Amino acid sequence: MKDSVKKHYLASITDKFVRGQLGRREFLRAAGKLGLGAGALGMGFGNRPFGAFSSARAAEELTPNPEILKWLADVGKPFAGTTLKLATESTPPSNAINGQLKKYFEEATGIKVEIEVLPLEQVLQKLTLDVASNLGTYDLYYIDQSWAASFSQDVFDPREQYSAKADLAMPNYNLDDFLPALVDGIAKYEDRWVGVPYDIPIFIMIYRKDIYDKLSLKAPETIEELYTNSKIITDEMGPNVYGTTGQMKSGHYSLECDWTAWLWGHGGSIFGPDGTFTGNDEKGAAALEYWTKLKATMPPGVDGWTWDGQGQSVAQGVAASMLSWGEFFPYFDDPTQTKVSGLCEVAVPPRAISLRTVKETGYGEIPGVGHQGGSSLAVSRYSKSPDAAWIFMQWATCADTQALITTLGGGTGPTRASVYDDPRVLAQARVGAGTTRHLPVVRETIAKHMGSEPDLPEWAQLSSDTIPVSLGKYFAGSYGSPKEALDDIAKQVGEVLKG
Amino acid sequence: MSVTQVKRIAISDSPWPWLLPLVSLLVVFTIYPLIYNIWLSFHEFMPRKRALVFVGFANWVQLWHDTRFWGALGVTFVYFTIALACEIVLGMAVALLLDAELPGFGALRAVLSMTLVIPPAIAGMMFLLMEDPQFGVLTYLLNMLGLLDKATPILATSSLALAGVLVAEIWQWTPFMVLIFMAGLRSLPPEPYEAAMIDGASSLQMFRRLTLPMMSRVIAVAALLRGIDLFRVFDYVFVMTSGGPGTSTYSLSLYAWQQTFSFLKWGYGATLSLVSLAIVMILANLFIRAFKVRW
Repeated sequence: MKDSVKKHYLASITDKFVRGQLGRREFLRAAGKLGLGAGALGMGFGNRPFGAFSSARAAEELTPNPEILKWLADVGKPFAGTTLKLATESTPPSNAINGQLKKYFEEATGIKVEIEVLPLEQVLQKLTLDVASNLGTYDLYYIDQSWAASFSQDVFDPREQYSAKADLAMPNYNLDDFLPALVDGIAKYEDRWVGVPYDIPIFIMIYRKDIYDKLSLKAPETIEELYTNSKIITDEMGPNVYGTTGQMKSGHYSLECDWTAWLWGHGGSIFGPDGTFTGNDEKGAAALEYWTKLKATMPPGVDGWTWDGQGQSVAQGVAASMLSWGEFFPYFDDPTQTKVSGLCEVAVPPRAISLRTVKETGYGEIPGVGHQGGSSLAVSRYSKSPDAAWIFMQWATCADTQALITTLGGGTGPTRASVYDDPRVLAQARVGAGTTRHLPVVRETIAKHMGSEPDLPEWAQLSSDTIPVSLGKYFAGSYGSPKEALDDIAKQVGEVLKG
Repeated sequence: MSVTQVKRIAISDSPWPWLLPLVSLLVVFTIYPLIYNIWLSFHEFMPRKRALVFVGFANWVQLWHDTRFWGALGVTFVYFTIALACEIVLGMAVALLLDAELPGFGALRAVLSMTLVIPPAIAGMMFLLMEDPQFGVLTYLLNMLGLLDKATPILATSSLALAGVLVAEIWQWTPFMVLIFMAGLRSLPPEPYEAAMIDGASSLQMFRRLTLPMMSRVIAVAALLRGIDLFRVFDYVFVMTSGGPGTSTYSLSLYAWQQTFSFLKWGYGATLSLVSLAIVMILANLFIRAFKVRW
């Protein structure tokens, strides 16, 4: 084969793979013909390393429950020929559905599903345009928890849909199976459900057991212990290995995510009950001082990393621990992708020094060191095929599909309680690609340590610009003290809220 | 339309039938968007109302109080000035060198032009990796030479980040200047140089008294083309620093993009774009007059 033909062929199959028109296995087979190994997948598809599949089992071994397929065939018949559209971020559930599972839905129902995978800010832009114009371009909305307030009136409440359309209701769909903490933290705005919890990336403690054992350390149980452990490792093993790492790129949402974990962990909160910014109070300043101290134990590149660089720093053996998204873990455990397979262990996030209650915060903020960045799936009120979309949504978020997503895509924590106990999920709780051995910790973190950002329309701007830009300035040395930086943030937040 | 009418148009002296397709394209893709942008700058999209609301001059007034805007404008000017100066000086130096026609220089010229086919976002990614404090080759070399402390991340340090971005910009676009300057050098008449050599002028004197004056218009055209592009810098800062750390590399285009697409402030984003357009037009016109640029 000529080199140019080879490259053209590779580009074509890669394009199909990224669009979800080609399964991983078929892609590997095709790539293998070109003399490319599994390493081709290490090129970093998707926005997040943990968005890529790290599956130990072939898709053919995992098929949907026949009873659900039969229900789909019966209920979906009147809608055959319909096309549904969903714009979503590159997340494990969306990637698994797009790449591996939607074919079962399409075959059973005759309904075509088009999934656009976009960067998060573009998803927001598309949804906003859709609701502003009432065009109904997208039948299903992927709603980040921080947008729940903005879109709450533009989607159907799934509880109403389930009871109002008995003929379309999936048997045993069980809305009560969704973890209550996720319903509160992700999907609920005031008394409405803005879709159902669909995706739950959440901060857990991931650490290198081999390094911790070598230095006779134990998994950090408190925030102070995390600092002490990290300092010991950096002092002993730096500059080859650093104690911990972060996602601290100036101006990026990831920096804000790290900030909230430390802020909440020190008993602070972003807002007070009256809706004013309180991140600059005594506890907020203590949190920033702690974080500054902790940063000294991190690799120098941390100021330029989002979650991608942070994950790679652990995967490449540069950092010995991180408090970050649990979705990284199956990727770390995949020996074809990283150097640390089997060397990492998980623990719940270090205990907070003190914690504010929801009543002491504003805009529904829930303090907790386990920062969650989840999203909901909902049917748009402007959809031209809301019934077909509702059938798809039930299928995509039912326990059986979630178990398949978890087993195929790995990483993301299921949003339903029953899926954590599903035999297919439990069977993969061993060292290796697509592991689920971190999920008990994820489940405990959701139940006991989860922190959730406030819900207000201005939050997108505050969390992706105002706060992380100023924090970036602080770490670059533009402010005289933590307090000065936080007071400046308070002033800017006040201006944004004033409009 | 009858055949006779078509024939009449085909032999007509009027330019309009021939210009019409081009004019239509201009109207659709330039005039209309510009007018729409101006209209948009007097409105703002209100997410809660899901509608564009007339706000009068509010967006224009906001500019004056927006420290981020002034910061972005300052960064853009610094970026523009340094990049343009470096690209002109380096471009001229390399063009003079390659004009010598030594063996292998033909291939070198071809290699130089290769940087131009790389998309700026990709070049930005390359330099992002090269300037990584852990794995970056550029950082490694600077460490070796004792010019940079190993613990200093170039792109995450306020005082260095802009320089880090400028390196990518200058690397990619200096060859563009080289190509233009070489074309200019090759079109210079040989007679003045022969006369100067007979008079015993040195190379430096010939460069200052002959080459530079004769090349001034070529340099001006190159500076104008590149300058307009530099003022719109987006790709490198977006990929390499996202405007950080803090706001130390925030360019005007990045700020306008962010306001428009991230925060859905379409009116303010349009205002920022119009300001950027106005500044470029004023500067370009001043430049054309000052340097008597002829197209």
